[in-house]
Amino acid sequence: MLLRLLDTKIPKKTKKIPYSSLTYCENKKKKKGGTIMKRLVCLCSLTAFLVLCILVAPSFSQKTAKGPYVIGGIFPLTGYLSWLGEYKKKGSELKAELINEAGGVDGTPLKLVVYDDQSSPEQAAKIAQRLISKDGAVFLIGTASVPISGAVASIANKEKVPAIIGSGYEVDPKKDKYVFNTAHKTDFAIARPFEYFKKSGMTKVALLMPIGSLGELGSRLARKYAPSYGITIVGEEKFDIKAPDVTAQLAKLKTLNPSAIFSFCTGEPAALVARNMAQLGMKIPLLVSHGNANPGFLRLVKDIDVPILVPSGRATLPNELPDSDPCKKVIIEFSKRHEQKYGEPANYYSAEMVDAVAIIAEVIKRTGSREGEKLVKGIENLKNFVGMQGVYKFSEDDHHGTALEDMMVLTIKDGKWRLLHR
Amino acid sequence: MSDFSYLVQFFFSGLTSGSIYALIAVSLVIVYRASQLICFSQGEFYVFGALIMASLLMKGIPLLAAFLLSLLSSVIMAGFIQYIVIRRLLKKPIGMLIVMTIAISLALRGFALLIWGRESYVVRPFFQVAPLSFVGATLPSQVFLIMGVTALVLLCLWLFFEKTLIGLAMRACAENPDAASLMGINVHRMSLFAWMWGGAIGAISGMVVAPLLFTQYTSGIMPMVKGFIAMSIGGLTGISGAALGGFLLGLTEAFTVGLVSSRFSDAIVFTILIIVLIFKPSGLFARSQ
Repeated sequence: MLLRLLDTKIPKKTKKIPYSSLTYCENKKKKKGGTIMKRLVCLCSLTAFLVLCILVAPSFSQKTAKGPYVIGGIFPLTGYLSWLGEYKKKGSELKAELINEAGGVDGTPLKLVVYDDQSSPEQAAKIAQRLISKDGAVFLIGTASVPISGAVASIANKEKVPAIIGSGYEVDPKKDKYVFNTAHKTDFAIARPFEYFKKSGMTKVALLMPIGSLGELGSRLARKYAPSYGITIVGEEKFDIKAPDVTAQLAKLKTLNPSAIFSFCTGEPAALVARNMAQLGMKIPLLVSHGNANPGFLRLVKDIDVPILVPSGRATLPNELPDSDPCKKVIIEFSKRHEQKYGEPANYYSAEMVDAVAIIAEVIKRTGSREGEKLVKGIENLKNFVGMQGVYKFSEDDHHGTALEDMMVLTIKDGKWRLLHR
Repeated sequence: MSDFSYLVQFFFSGLTSGSIYALIAVSLVIVYRASQLICFSQGEFYVFGALIMASLLMKGIPLLAAFLLSLLSSVIMAGFIQYIVIRRLLKKPIGMLIVMTIAISLALRGFALLIWGRESYVVRPFFQVAPLSFVGATLPSQVFLIMGVTALVLLCLWLFFEKTLIGLAMRACAENPDAASLMGINVHRMSLFAWMWGGAIGAISGMVVAPLLFTQYTSGIMPMVKGFIAMSIGGLTGISGAALGGFLLGLTEAFTVGLVSSRFSDAIVFTILIIVLIFKPSGLFARSQ
C-alpha cells in the first residue's frame, strides 16, 4: 500500500532536456560538484574543530572555571594492598568533608574523585592520567607502595600536576619536581629504631628482607645507618612475601646470635615473621616497617609472644604526646570525628592523606591558583605547617617536610600500642 | 643449634609448606580426574572455607560445628556454581570452561571482598599443643593435623574412586563422557559430584591451613599457584602423586633457602618444573599409560 502511494508520487515521465543544453548542464554539474567539495571541506574542518574543542574542553574549563577544586585520589582498594587503601580513602574523604563543611577554600568546595589502582603501578598510571585529563584534577593524592608511587610520580611530572603521595617512595625534588610525600622518610623509620637499639645496647642486627624493591630499600638503608649507631649487620636472608613459612630463614639467622631481627615488611608477612619467631622460641625484638602502625596489624599479632617494634608518626598514640606538642590538638580533634564516623580512631595511613588534603587546601588558599607550577612553589614555601604527621617544613630541596623527631618507636603490650622511644 | 638441627628445621619448614601445597594439589586433581578440567576457582573454595570458619568461630560457635558448617557451605556453593554455570558449558570446548573457572574465581573473590572486607583473619590452632621440638628444631602441631587430614582425604578418595560405583562412574565420565552417557551414566550429575568434592577438599585445606597463615579475600592466589605447580610436578591424574609433588615442592623450597640462598628459591623450583615438563610431562609420579 505504502509502495503504491509512493509510486503515485513519483512522476513517471521526466522532462526531456534538449541536446544543446547538455554542455551547459555538465558545466553546472561541475560547478555544483565544486561547491559540494568546498562545503565538505568546510564541514570536515568544522567537525575537526568541534572534536578538538571537546577534547580540550574538560581540562581547560575545569582548570580555569570557578568549579570545585578537584583532587584525584588514587588508592589501592582491591589487590594485596587493599587493607591499607581503605584507611587512606576514609581519612582523605573525611578531611575534605570537614573543609567543605567549614566553607571550603575561600568559598570554593574541594571535590575528591577516588579511583581504585588495584595495587598495580600500571593501573595507577592510567588512573592518574584519567584524573588529570578527564576529571580535571588540580592535585593528585594517594598511592601506597614504592612502585605505584613511582608510576604516579612519572605522570605528575609529565603533566605538571602536583601529587602528594604517602608511601616509602623517596622523593628527589630534582627528579620529581611535582611530587611531595607526607609519609615520613624511610630513612627515619630505620634511623629512629636504630637509635633505640644503640640506647638499649643491641648492637647485632640480622636482616630478613622480603624479595622486591621494599626489601632492597630496607637492606640498603639498614647498612647505611648501622655504622652511625654502632650496629653490626650480622647476616641477611630473603623471603617471598607469599611464602607460608619462614622458619628456615629464621633458623639460619638464629645461628648468628643477633640481638634483634629487622624485617622491612608490612601486614601479613610481618605478622608471619613474628609468628615463626615465636615458634622457634626467638624472644629478641623484631623491628618491622612503619606501615604496620594500624589496628589491622594489631589484630594480626595480638597473640604472638615476640617483642615487636613499629616506628610510627604521632597519630597512633596522641595521648602519649605532651600538651606542648602542637600536633596533639590536631590529631585528637580529627581522630574524634574519625571515630564518630567510622567507629575507629585515625591511624598512620589516614593521617598521611589527611595531611595531604590539609596541605592542598592551605596552598590553594595561599596561592589562589590552579596552576601546577604555582602550587608546587606554594608547597615549597610552606613552613611550620602543623599536621598529624608532624610540623611540615617544605623547601625546594625537601619535598617530605617532616623530620626525624616526628617519628617515634612503638611496641605492643596487651593488644595495645605502647610508646617505647621518642 | 647444631648443623644437624638446622637440617631438621629446614625439613620441618619444608613439611609445613609442603603439607599446604599437597592438599591444594589434591583438590585440583579431584576436579581434573572427574571432568578433565583444571579448576582455577579452587583457591576461592580454600578462602571461603577458611573465612566462613573464622567468622563462625568469632561468633562463638564451637570448632567442630564451625568446621562442619563451613564445609557444608562450601560444598553447596561448589554444587550451585556447577549447576548454574558449568552444567551449561559441559559440551563446549575445554578452553571455554577453563576461562569460565577463572571468571568464577574473580567473581568469588569479589564476593569475599564484599562479605569480609580487606582485613586478614586469624584462626587459633585447633589444638593448644606446644610445637614439637626435636634436636632444637620445632614443628607446629597444626602441621601434624594437616598431614593427618591429607592422609585421611587420600584414603577417602581412594576408597571412593576405587571401591564405589559412583567413583567408578565419575572415572568413566572423565575418560570418555560420550561412552559413559551411552552406558546410562548421568554425566551432568557426575560433574556436579566432582565439583562438590573439589569444593569440599578446597574448603578443608583452607580450614586446616588457616591457623598457620593469615586469611583474607586474596589468600587463595598463592595456594592455587603452588598447588598447580605441585600438581604439574606430581602428575595431573594421580592423587597421591600430586600430594607427593606438594611435599617435594615444599622441601625443595626450604632446603634451597637453608643450604643455598633464599634468592634462588623460586628459580630452582621453576627450573625443576621446566625439567619435569620437558622430560616427564605427565608428572614425576604418574603411572605410565
